[in-house]
Amino acid sequence: MSTPSPEPSGALRRTLFLSGSILLTGAGMGLLLRTYVGQQIYWPDYIVIGLFPLLFSQIAVGVMLALFGFFDGLRGGDPLHVMRRSWRNKEEEVPLAATAIVIPVFNEEVERVRMGIENMWRSLEKTGQIEHFDFYLCSDSNDADHWIEEECAWLNLCQKLKAFGKIFYRKRRHAINSKSGNVADFCRRWGKRYRYMIVLDADSVMSGPTMVRLVRAMEANPAVGILQTQPVQVLGQSLFRRLLQFSGSAYGKIFTQGCSFTQTSSSSYWGHNAIIRIAPFIEHCDLPMLPVPDARGRHVLSHDTVEAALMRRAGYEVWVAYDESGSWEEGPPNMSDMLKRDRRWCAGNLQHFWFLFGRGIELGNRLQIWIGLMAYLCSPIWLAFLIAGSFTSYSRARFLLYSAGPEDIEDAAHHQETLLLFVLTVVLLFLPRVLSLLSQLPDARHFGGVFRLLLSTLLETVLSILMAPVLMLFHTLFVIQVILGWQIKWTTQNRSDSGLAFSHCVILYGWQTLLGIAGQSLAWTYLGSSSYWLMPIFIGWILAPITAWVTASKRLGEILRSWGLLIIPAEAEPPPELAGLADAASPSPEIPPLWSQALLCPYVHAIHLSMVRQRHSGGEDKKPAQSLAKLREKLVLEGPDALKPKEKLRLLWDAETVFWLHRELWSRPGDKLHPQWERLQAESGKSPLLRHYLLIETSD
Amino acid sequence: MASIDSSPTNSGSDQAVWNEAYERVRNFLETFALGDHTQAPRLALKLVDRAREIHRDDPSKHPTTLAMEQAHHLMAEWLAANLETSERPTSQTFASGYIALLLGQSLRITPDSFLVTPLAPPLRQALRESLLVTGPDLEISSMSPRSFDYGPMLNLARQTWHKWDARAIVVAIAFWIGVYFIFYWWLSDLL
Repeated sequence: MSTPSPEPSGALRRTLFLSGSILLTGAGMGLLLRTYVGQQIYWPDYIVIGLFPLLFSQIAVGVMLALFGFFDGLRGGDPLHVMRRSWRNKEEEVPLAATAIVIPVFNEEVERVRMGIENMWRSLEKTGQIEHFDFYLCSDSNDADHWIEEECAWLNLCQKLKAFGKIFYRKRRHAINSKSGNVADFCRRWGKRYRYMIVLDADSVMSGPTMVRLVRAMEANPAVGILQTQPVQVLGQSLFRRLLQFSGSAYGKIFTQGCSFTQTSSSSYWGHNAIIRIAPFIEHCDLPMLPVPDARGRHVLSHDTVEAALMRRAGYEVWVAYDESGSWEEGPPNMSDMLKRDRRWCAGNLQHFWFLFGRGIELGNRLQIWIGLMAYLCSPIWLAFLIAGSFTSYSRARFLLYSAGPEDIEDAAHHQETLLLFVLTVVLLFLPRVLSLLSQLPDARHFGGVFRLLLSTLLETVLSILMAPVLMLFHTLFVIQVILGWQIKWTTQNRSDSGLAFSHCVILYGWQTLLGIAGQSLAWTYLGSSSYWLMPIFIGWILAPITAWVTASKRLGEILRSWGLLIIPAEAEPPPELAGLADAASPSPEIPPLWSQALLCPYVHAIHLSMVRQRHSGGEDKKPAQSLAKLREKLVLEGPDALKPKEKLRLLWDAETVFWLHRELWSRPGDKLHPQWERLQAESGKSPLLRHYLLIETSD
Repeated sequence: MASIDSSPTNSGSDQAVWNEAYERVRNFLETFALGDHTQAPRLALKLVDRAREIHRDDPSKHPTTLAMEQAHHLMAEWLAANLETSERPTSQTFASGYIALLLGQSLRITPDSFLVTPLAPPLRQALRESLLVTGPDLEISSMSPRSFDYGPMLNLARQTWHKWDARAIVVAIAFWIGVYFIFYWWLSDLL
């Protein structure tokens, strides 16, 4: 094992990054101010002047990150990086340590999660190091069907892979603090058994060799607390997901590389596809409560950034292994699902404001927090900038029309600085894409060849331009919601490419169409030819329902794929770890609901009873609480659909009740049972849970 | 539908309730996914016959209830004998037994052995070896948040929250409007 290298400070890099960003912003600001020379200043101009540096600095930050990433790529990678230190020379000799692979789930597509675990297990098995790894499926699902299906899927995995004692299932009774609480719960219960945990999302997949290398990296570098990989978005079928995964594969790396170059050992943690040293995580990274008056808003929603900052504050390094392959995830299938996710992320990122000025936070982490904050705050700022800019144009147009002499019109019409500023903005906006494309050219065959790579980029750029104004309006609304203190809940991310109904698109995005039409009419009326620069915005708004509907189409995604467009390397050379995942679908019962099988099918019933610990020592004859007894009777007499979701969970949590119901539902005469039970009894022998998960052939 | 009794002494309604009992037991046994599809109906007939005998002496219970009681009773005895649990069968006995049947796959390979006592030694051994490991032993750690100093923003926020009133808001707005206008007139002349 190599001795840990001295921690790189990265001070020079950060100085260069900050000074470069400030310089570019200053150049833009200088050009803007020069456009005002000799001009009448109107009140909206002050808003434009005030907001411009905030917006332009974001463009500058993006450009600087891309430039640094490009430079780092050209020279073959960062020599200071933890994955390029001397331990790599004797990598195979570095011993492994006990590692838990923790997969928090919340009402996810069970079969997809099961298959992901199976593929990862098989990949790890091939490395010959499986004995160092245990899997934990940590469920917070609050849907009874998902819960019971998860239990059966867990048994299927154990049985199929002969992994009893290696793959574990844990269901939390109270899903306190969402995903971060779920991971913390694992740490409290079993953290001591392991030196590392690899945290995954329900849709994450990692290859065995990558996981083994991450453990070795941690073993060889004891100062590293978190090592994050860059998950590549894959398995997209709808046009929207294919766009996201193409942009991620084509442009993502250069930005991540730039971030890593700038932040060095104070890099980001994205909450999944990362390995964590458990002991310091337990000691230092439990999330503090936010100091807000409303108790409901004290929990940190986006835990990852804060955990990285806390780990760094405790003296451990946090790195992004941007060059490691074998790390994948899935993106949202359409714009509506992305907005649902963004709403949650927006609330989380804005909460990070509290940590921006917290004591002991490293500059690299502060930069990360700032970038995360501005990712959403930029939207209302952009909107305000557009409105103020429009008023400015209107005031100027009126002045030229009613008051100006010929020399004023000449001055206004031929303003070199305006043109220069426009050109500079466009160049800076597109420079990162150009740099990304240049860096991908040697790898172009994995994107379908140079021509198709360029064509795909063009398509992605056009659609991004159309979607940007739509997202801007929604993000503005999200920011307002957060400021007003509306609660944002943790929701399940939809990952199926089933498309969107046009009526849904009209209802959700139609108001933007009306806004676009009204805005364009007003702009034409009052601004004349000056309104042309607003056209991309109005077109984006007007077409919003159609854009959302079309991009959600799976068929269109498939057509483009057949033409070789929006292809990514993971599709050109599919890794075995992703095999079968795109088509993995949970069994659908002929007669729902699935959860009733825990009461009827003896095998499903037994698995559930084994997982639910007996809470009372009173035995089965002990009388249940009156409310529970009422619920039991209600279920028997009124059928499974009569219960509310919480009532189902309450019954399922009580082992005695589950056992009692099993006996009672089979023993009561038909006239004392709801008719649905008899239908379910007849179907129990052919239960999809039995057929899909439990009755599998195993060979010894 | 199989009729379990063609005795002329049985009335039509009697036949219906016994048919219901037979169907229930058969459905229950079919959930064990026996390798031989005829095994569940055969066993169901036997259990219903046994229930009928009991019913003659004690007609207070409904045939379905009685037949299923017989099924559960037989199952409990069989599992207890093969899993060697001397105690009275509990929900956990049933759970362990059912899981052993599932994992051992014995009912698919040798469906005739279902509810047969004594069980052949190799099958009994296989049944006992099929244990379910649901989770490793807990090794509890304490994980609690460390104190975190939010810095100057917290002080600023606290002052605002604790002294928040409508008058302060009006004064603040008026103040900033004033500042804005001063800047406006001043900069308008300057620029």
